[in-house]
This record gives sequence, C-alpha cells and structure tokens, in this order.
Amino acid sequence: MSSILKINNINKIFINNNGSDKAVLQNVNFEVEENEFIVVFGPGQCGKTTLLNIIAGLEKQSSGQVFIKDKLVEKAGPDRAVVFQNIQLFPWLTALKNVEYSMKIRGFSKEEYHSEAMKYLELVGLKGFENSYPIKLSGGMKQRVGIARAYCTKPDVMLMDEPFGALDAQTRYLMQDEVLRICNTEKRTIVFITNNIEEALYLADRIVVMSDCPSTVKEVVKIDLTHPRDRTDSEFLRLRKEISAMVNRKR
Amino acid sequence: MALKIRNEGVRKFFWGFLSIFLVFVLWYFASQLDHMKNLLPNPINVIKFIGISVIAPIGKTTLFGHLYWSMTRVMTGYILASIVGIILGFFCGWSKLGSALIKPIYSVLRSIPSIAWIPLAILWFGIGENSKYFIIFISTMLIIMTNVIDGVKDVDESYLDVARMLGTKENQLFLHIVLPCAVPQIFNGLQVALGAAWATVIAAEMVRSSKGVGWLILMGQTSMNMTQVFAGIIVIGLVGLTLALIMRWLESKLCAWNIRGK
Repeated sequence: MSSILKINNINKIFINNNGSDKAVLQNVNFEVEENEFIVVFGPGQCGKTTLLNIIAGLEKQSSGQVFIKDKLVEKAGPDRAVVFQNIQLFPWLTALKNVEYSMKIRGFSKEEYHSEAMKYLELVGLKGFENSYPIKLSGGMKQRVGIARAYCTKPDVMLMDEPFGALDAQTRYLMQDEVLRICNTEKRTIVFITNNIEEALYLADRIVVMSDCPSTVKEVVKIDLTHPRDRTDSEFLRLRKEISAMVNRKR
Repeated sequence: MALKIRNEGVRKFFWGFLSIFLVFVLWYFASQLDHMKNLLPNPINVIKFIGISVIAPIGKTTLFGHLYWSMTRVMTGYILASIVGIILGFFCGWSKLGSALIKPIYSVLRSIPSIAWIPLAILWFGIGENSKYFIIFISTMLIIMTNVIDGVKDVDESYLDVARMLGTKENQLFLHIVLPCAVPQIFNGLQVALGAAWATVIAAEMVRSSKGVGWLILMGQTSMNMTQVFAGIIVIGLVGLTLALIMRWLESKLCAWNIRGK
C-alpha cells in the first residue's frame, strides 16, 4: 500500500489582534493510505478543523507541507472534497444540482454528470428528493446531499469535518451507519474529524489522536474491530478508555 | 396544517374586508354631514365615477387610456433603469475599478429625492414624454443599483471557498455563485423601485401633462371635482397594490429557494 496523503510537519500560528500569537498546530505528521478511513480525534475546539482546512487548501499553514499523491497542495480543489460541519450547500440549487455542480463546472457532459449525481443521490438514500431545495430538507438529509456532493467530485481524499456534529444523537447514529454503508459500496479514502471518541471508534480504521492546544499527534491507533461494531463490546470499551486516557494525560 | 393555513387565509381576508368596509361606511356617513359636503364626496358616487370613466372619456381619454399612458411612462423608465442599474450595480459591487469609478458619483446622486429632478428634466427634455422617462429612470435606477451592490457585497465568502473546492475557476465565480446569490436582493430592489416608479410618475404628471392618472387628480382639483380627485386616488392605490402583488408572486416563483420567497 502506498500513502495517498502525506501531512508533513504542519505548524499553524494565529496572530491575534493585540499582536500576541497562538499556536494551534505543532509539528503535525501523519500519512493516510489509499481507501483508508482515518479519524482525527482530539478534545476541545483546538486545531482539528484548521488542520482539515489546511489539507483542503482553504487555509494556509505557517510551515510544513501537505502532499496528495506526491503533489504539493497549494489551493482548494476537487481532488480533496470537503463535507462541512455546517454543510454549506448552495441554497439556490436543488439537491440534484448541488450534487451535479462540481462535474458540471469542470466541463463533463450532461449525460455523465446527471447519471453520476443520480447514482450518488440514490446511494445516500435521497431518491425522490432530487428537485427539493436545501431549505426544504432536514439537517440529516442536507448532510446526505453534502456527502453525495463530495462523492460526485470524484476526489482522491474525502475530508469530513465533524459532519454530524450539528445533528441530534439519533440521527447521528443513523448517519454513522450510513457513512459506513456508503463507504462499503464505494471505497474512498476518508479523513474524518471528530471530538467524539465513540464516533471515532465506531468508524475508524486508524485513529490519529491529537492533544489539546497546540494540537500535535499523540499517537496513531490501529482499530482492528470488525464491522458492524458494538458500542458496548468489551474491547470497544477498553479502547475507549485507553484513548481517552491518552488525551487527558498531560505531556 | 393545510387546513389551519386556509383558516388563517380566510380570517385575514375577513378582517381585511371588514376594515375596508368600515372605512367605507364611516366615509359614507361623514359625506352626508352638512358641513362636510364640499370636502368629502359620496363614496358611492366615487365608485360610480370610476365605473363610468372606464367607458366615458375624461379629458382626452378613458380611465384605461390614462392608466395606459401612466404605465407606459413607468415601464419605459423602469425597464431602462433595471438594465442600467443591474449592470452598473454589478460593476460597482464586484470590480474594484468599478467601485472606484462609480461609487463617488453614485453616493451623491443617491441622496437626491426623485421629485427634485423634475424641473431639471423639463429644462433638459421639455414637457413631453422624455422628461417623464428621465425622472422615472433616474429615481429607480439608483434604488436598483443600491440593492445590486448590497446583494454582491452580501455574498457569503464561504460559498466562494466551497465553489473553489468543487473546482470552480476564479473567472467562473461571478456567473455561478455571485449572480445567483444576489438574486433575492436584486429582486427586492426591483420591487421597491417599481413602487417608487409608480409614485414618481404621478408626481411628474401632476407637474405637467395632459394625460395620465396624475393629471386626472390635478384636473379634479382645478375644477373642484372632489369625486374625480377621490376616484384618482383610489385608482392609484389599487394599481400600486396590484403591481406589488405581481412582484411578490414573481418573487415566489423565481426565488423559491430563498426564505424571503416562502
């Protein structure tokens, strides 16, 4: 296996208005293999989303590099599709047109982008809602469109930024199963960010455990549990304790 | 749910009808009072007057003729203003050069009330139709421009980021993100501007003209015909209301995705 995404010594320092600076990411290093489900797990509000935005090319790092397929990342592009926590669908487009958008704007033929978008809408379980505007969809449905849209850009890596953070607990469990089902149907390399240890353990092939501010990689834990995972299984609970302890331990 | 909304609609209609009816009744009795006779016409006569004037001409033409003249003036000025206002607004809102070139003039012009242009328009274009087109054009164009500029300014920066992430090139951003994003605000401007155009045409016709609904009221005043004055005012109100309703209906069709369009 070859690594498709390489995070190399990323540092990020924010300069505050009063001139003082705050380090949020410190020497972050890890690699992601093709078709791997990586969960970046860490406590609190520090650094994780910034890291994802840097990978996506939406924010600039202070130092370090991101390589995708050995190519240096310089700006945002469809090879790294993002599923945002606040979803960010275009409200003036229907669900179908949102999903079609990327292929359409990049000049694919109408038959191609239409049939692909329909396929992914069906995959996320939204057949019949093609012509609904986002305002008419529930939070969970909107995020399904967000996932279909990310799939339909045909990315090398999908970046998911706490995609279920804004959903209620019930929908969240449902969406976690959905994401696994969708990933099984069509394999993708995924970097998934969460501050929820249970979510991380339920989904991940490997968990990148981050420390709190400034965030740095504490450890990368391989999760060998078979799917579907049982959240009350003893091994699951043991790993949960172990990883929680890693985060709470002071450096 | 559907039933409740319908009930609400019926209730709204009922209260609306009742309030108009009450004013009508009060008006009727007031007009019967001795010392009010010269100030308030009998409302029934006013309605009769409107009905008759559909067939019988007042001055040069019937009521529909006057409406036709007023509407032609409004639409000519308004459509021109929409085209120019939208183009200038986008130029001013999206391009730095446009903003630097146009913003200063625009800021000065914007604070001039539309009726202040009337004397100048008459000196420049005479008392014919062109001066009326000009007055309507200048007053509505600035309203539309303001809204287009605001619409472009309000485009959420994060939509641009998402668009780039999805593979949109910089030169595609305007057409695919900025333009659709600004549509509701532009529509708002078109709506306000149409109301303003209607108000302005009446003012312009009252200054100088021989046809139009504004002229109708002015003639009523000159000939001390209270019934005609009131008929004119009611017609103006009804037309203004109709225009607003048409625009709102259009908005609900064109901006269905927007909260305001609901």
